[in-house]
This record gives sequence, structure tokens and C-alpha cells, in this order.
Amino acid sequence: MNENSQTPLEERSRRLFDESIAAVDMQVRSRLTRARHAALEAVPRRSARLFGMPLWRAAAGATAAAVLAVALWFTWSAGPQAIDANDGRPSFEDLGLVASSDQGSGDAMEMMQNDVDFYAWVAAKAEQPGAGHAG
Amino acid sequence: MPHFDTLGCASMAWDGSATEPEDAALEQTRELDKFLAAVERRAFRIAQVALRDVDDALDVVQESMLKLVRKYAAKPCAEWRPLFYRILENGIRDLQRRRSIRKRFMVWLPGPKDDPQHEFEDPLENAADPAADAPVRLMQSQAIERLDASLRALPARQRQAFTLRNLEGLDVAETALAMGCSQGSVKTHYSRAVHQLREQLGEVW
Repeated sequence: MNENSQTPLEERSRRLFDESIAAVDMQVRSRLTRARHAALEAVPRRSARLFGMPLWRAAAGATAAAVLAVALWFTWSAGPQAIDANDGRPSFEDLGLVASSDQGSGDAMEMMQNDVDFYAWVAAKAEQPGAGHAG
Repeated sequence: MPHFDTLGCASMAWDGSATEPEDAALEQTRELDKFLAAVERRAFRIAQVALRDVDDALDVVQESMLKLVRKYAAKPCAEWRPLFYRILENGIRDLQRRRSIRKRFMVWLPGPKDDPQHEFEDPLENAADPAADAPVRLMQSQAIERLDASLRALPARQRQAFTLRNLEGLDVAETALAMGCSQGSVKTHYSRAVHQLREQLGEVW
């Protein structure tokens, strides 16, 4: 430090400089204090924050994103295999519901066809001789 | 002598001892505040001696504080002092260069306030201290003014070496870091500065 500053000139200059610092007036001191506070407002927060949010929150968000990515990857990779396992038929329950609905529609069509036969038979009987006499 | 104990300052790296990183950041801010509070007036006086203008000196000190905080807050606090003085000296030099250019090419504009009437006049500094002897204060004030003038008369590198090494108490290595030169150069500049000052002040000191 000042182990080599032994001459009177060096000692006195240092002492005078310290005294001049002690004599800095209050106005300048106040401005220096404000400048210091303004500078401290600019302290980087990188160690505690990431993209403006607390580090723990950023870590939690990153973990959630990673879990979601893994889940999506499994879903996409397992999707085609699920269909192939049933000989090309979808294995979803929704597809079964749709199939049963189609089958219901087929039953209705078959019933309509039976009615047509019935009405044709009634018409044929009505054209036969003596059909107007009810037995 | 600066009152900031660079050896005793807390570690700025978060080592897990704090419960949250925010605590480490808060501790860092506290240490920076302590450091800047310890050096701000000294830095102001150094800038004032070199620039002879209170507002310019305050501007340079404020800029230096900002740069230290923005760029070097993460550095170990033991390095802050030489880094801060390096920033300060660079700021002083830049301002002196701007003044020189302004003088050279824009002579019709008012130059730096060389007029002694524009010198900083501090009513509190000049006010009588009831606890002090007025003649002693007058002699002290004159001695300070003489020292300031002698420091201003030195070449820039000699003034830096003497200011940082003797007045600020930096060791040779810290002074070399602050000045951006070798330790040998620091010793040379310092020796020449002492020689020059002795020639200027020897008669009265």
C-alpha cells in the first residue's frame, strides 16, 4: 500500500487529500449519494432472475415444458402402432360408438325393406278374385 | 485511505449458503453500496482535481459507478477498486479529449470553465468551523489548493500514478491494473511524479 510513501511530501499530500475529502460539501455528497443509488438500480439480476422472472419460477417452467415434451413424444410415437394392432381398425371407443350407430341405421333400413314386402303382399292379395269378401 | 475493506468483503458468488439466489443478489447490492459509498467522495476529488469542474467531476463519477455496476458487479469485490479507478481515469481522459477537440475545432463556443470564478465554490467548505482555528483552516485550504494545482500540472500518467498509488493507497499491482500498464511503468511514473511535485512544492513544504 503506502509502505514506500515515507517522505514528508507523500505523507503530507495524502493527509491533505484526506482532509479535502472530509470537506466535500453536503450538496456534492447528496448528489453523489443519488448517483450511487441510481447506479445500484442497474445491478444485473442474472444470478437471481432469468428473463425477468425469479430463478425458481423459471426452473419450474422449464421442468413443466420438459414433461410436456416427453408426453407428446410418447403420444406421437405410440399413435400409429395402436391402430395397426387391431388390423387397421381404430381401437378408440369413439369409433365403436360410431360403428354401433351405423349398425342401428342398417337395422332401420332392413325394417323398411320388410315393410315394403308386406305392402306388396297386401296389394297382390287385393287384386285376387274374391279379395273383396272378407272371410 | 479508502475505508472499504476489500479483503473482508463477502463473497459475491452464490455458494448455496443463502436460502435463495435473491439473497445473494441482495448481498451483492449491499456490498456494492458499501464499496461505492467508501470511494465516491475520493473519486469525486480525483476527478475534480483533473477536470477543475464540479459538474463534470460528478458526471464522470456517476458514469464510473454505473459502468462498474453494469459490467463488473459479478467480479470478486476485491477487484472492484482497481477496476473502478480504471473506469474513472478513462472517463476523465475521455472528457479531457472532448474538451481538447471542442477547443480546437469549436473555438467560438465557450470552452471549459477555466475561469477561477467558475471554480466550485462550496459555502459549507468555506464556512467557518467554530471548532477549528480559522488561520489553520485558511492555511490548510491554501495547501490543498496548492496540491491540486501541482497535481494538475503533472503529466496525466504521472498524476494517475501518484493519485492512485499515494493518495488512494493502491499497491503497485492494483495501480497497474487501474492504469492499464505494467508495474514497472507505474514505478517510473510514480517516481517522476514525486520528483516533479517536490520541485513544485518543495519551497513551501
